[in-house]
Amino acid sequence: MSAVFDKLDPRTDGTALTSTGEARDFFTLLKPRVMSLVIVTALAGMATAPGTVHPVIGFAALLAIAVGAGASGCLNMWYDADIDALMVRTAKRPIPAGRILPSEALAFGLTLSIGAVLVLGLVANLLAAGMLAFTIFFYAVVYSMWLKRWTPQNIVIGGAAGAFPPMIGEAVVTGGFGIRSLVLFAIIFLWTPPHFWALALVKSADYARAGIPMLPNVAGPASTRRHILAYSLVMAPVAVLPALMGFGGLIYLVVSVVTGLAMIALAVRVLRTTEGDAAHKAAYSLFGFSILYLFLLFAVLLAENSLGLMWALPKVIG
Amino acid sequence: MNEPRKQPVAPAAFSPEDMARRRRRNVALALVLAGLVVFFFVVTLVKTGPAIMNRPL
Repeated sequence: MSAVFDKLDPRTDGTALTSTGEARDFFTLLKPRVMSLVIVTALAGMATAPGTVHPVIGFAALLAIAVGAGASGCLNMWYDADIDALMVRTAKRPIPAGRILPSEALAFGLTLSIGAVLVLGLVANLLAAGMLAFTIFFYAVVYSMWLKRWTPQNIVIGGAAGAFPPMIGEAVVTGGFGIRSLVLFAIIFLWTPPHFWALALVKSADYARAGIPMLPNVAGPASTRRHILAYSLVMAPVAVLPALMGFGGLIYLVVSVVTGLAMIALAVRVLRTTEGDAAHKAAYSLFGFSILYLFLLFAVLLAENSLGLMWALPKVIG
Repeated sequence: MNEPRKQPVAPAAFSPEDMARRRRRNVALALVLAGLVVFFFVVTLVKTGPAIMNRPL
């Protein structure tokens, strides 16, 4: 716990009480790329939910979910500033680069967290607000403060935080959540490990320098490659379920099958290519494609369910 | 024995560039606050409906 209190000291250089960070530095603290995925996945959860919501309320709820996700990213950057400074990939983030003080990031993250949860509770319902609060807690406390520095399963368990937005989206519309958003949760949950382990294979020296027990550093690259393929083999069929359960149409079926096979093919290439630059390139290709894969799945679901592009398929499951 | 009490540290002097950055930051904050006012107004109208104008004073 002392580590938490150490991070509360606002004066990194002994004199400054406030920073001269700009608005874009504070925006960077919100991890905008993660926020964009959260927006798409939460919106897909709202679009596939059995019900409707007023567009203004839907937009307000989506804004609250996005800000809540950003706030948890900000709290993550506040807590991880010490290890971010040691890693090439993260050393230029606003806190380790000295543009924002830790105390400012903490205040910013807490204010946005509380504000986002309150707004979601007011515009939507208490269940959605409670789930958003739990998501922020899970990412900022359970993942960032506990799992990340403790176990190589950090991103497996912590991945749940990134998987909650579709469930929050459905809760906004229906006041509850059902099997549809649970399937969307499962897709993101199973997608997270191969996505991050592909990055960890490339950046294992970075993680080793920071002392983060990522799977390649603990179990070795060969075991990580097998884990990536195993998760991909489970994830790809699960990603087809929306089409079999009647809330994804023909376009979704084609996209999920084709891109799922591509994910598996890239995972096989990662497994087989183990040496030199080719190995790094294979892992980085999988990492990059995995982002496109998740974005495509949820964007197609969203388009089919909200833009009248649904060519319905016979329901096979559910 | 008690440690000597820490004296408050004077804020570092800001350069004109620092001041310009802070001004831009404050303008951004003002815009966000103005946006929130509009946001809460519109959401209140939608949640409450036209009946919000129909209350006894």
